[in-house]
Amino acid sequence: MINHSELVPQSKHIGDAVVASLKGEIDLHKSPELRGVILDLLHKHNPRKLILDLSGVPYMDSSAIAVLVEALKKLRKNSGKVFLTGLQPRVKGLLEIARLDTVFSIVKDEAEAVAQ
Amino acid sequence: MTRAISLTISSDPEQLAPVRHAIEKIASDLGFDSDAVAKIGLCVNEALANVIRHAYQGSTDQPIQINAEPTNVGLKIIIRDWGNGVNPDTLPPKPHDPLKPGGLGLICMREMMDEVIFEPQDKGMQLTMNKKRADRPDENHSVGAAA
Repeated sequence: MINHSELVPQSKHIGDAVVASLKGEIDLHKSPELRGVILDLLHKHNPRKLILDLSGVPYMDSSAIAVLVEALKKLRKNSGKVFLTGLQPRVKGLLEIARLDTVFSIVKDEAEAVAQ
Repeated sequence: MTRAISLTISSDPEQLAPVRHAIEKIASDLGFDSDAVAKIGLCVNEALANVIRHAYQGSTDQPIQINAEPTNVGLKIIIRDWGNGVNPDTLPPKPHDPLKPGGLGLICMREMMDEVIFEPQDKGMQLTMNKKRADRPDENHSVGAAA
């Protein structure tokens, strides 16, 4: 397990998956940091699955959504997927408006994502 | 009684959260439900982020003025910048592609607020967003109901 930052306090590598827990409100101020951490994880581990636990994220804006989409595009090049778990209502609502709720794989928990 | 507020901030992304929280507090005090408060907060965030990214092209030391005032049916928010003055209403519409999230902020504002008006100024832009409370009748209807 690697400690990253307040925003991404934990991540771990399980098989072909990287699991990262995010924490805090993510807006234009924080999204560059999120982008840096996630791209770093993808570069280091080259996973097929990126599993993001968003249970600690009460709020995100379109700049954070753009980071998630960038990660998804990178993973798709290797037939990979981004799994989201622990969605809070505000985050879920934004994904729905962005019509991304069916593009990302939204799962109940980490185990469900690892099993897929 | 909820009072109007006027804030002047710099175009630094660090300012987004405090402004959003202040506007959400006003909306909550005015009786908006939690879903509407969240939508108002997000729209203010997206409007300010657009000013920072597009009107000021990422410069972090430019002024943005935010006014929020109660109306008889809800809340009016006015955001003034002195940036490049590009009016989003005049940009050609593009089909929404979920995998190209640019423009999502505008989509949120137009879907979540009752009224979104961009008014070019001599220098910069003024954005007015109105949100009605769900339990308040439309102004026109309320006139009819009272007659």
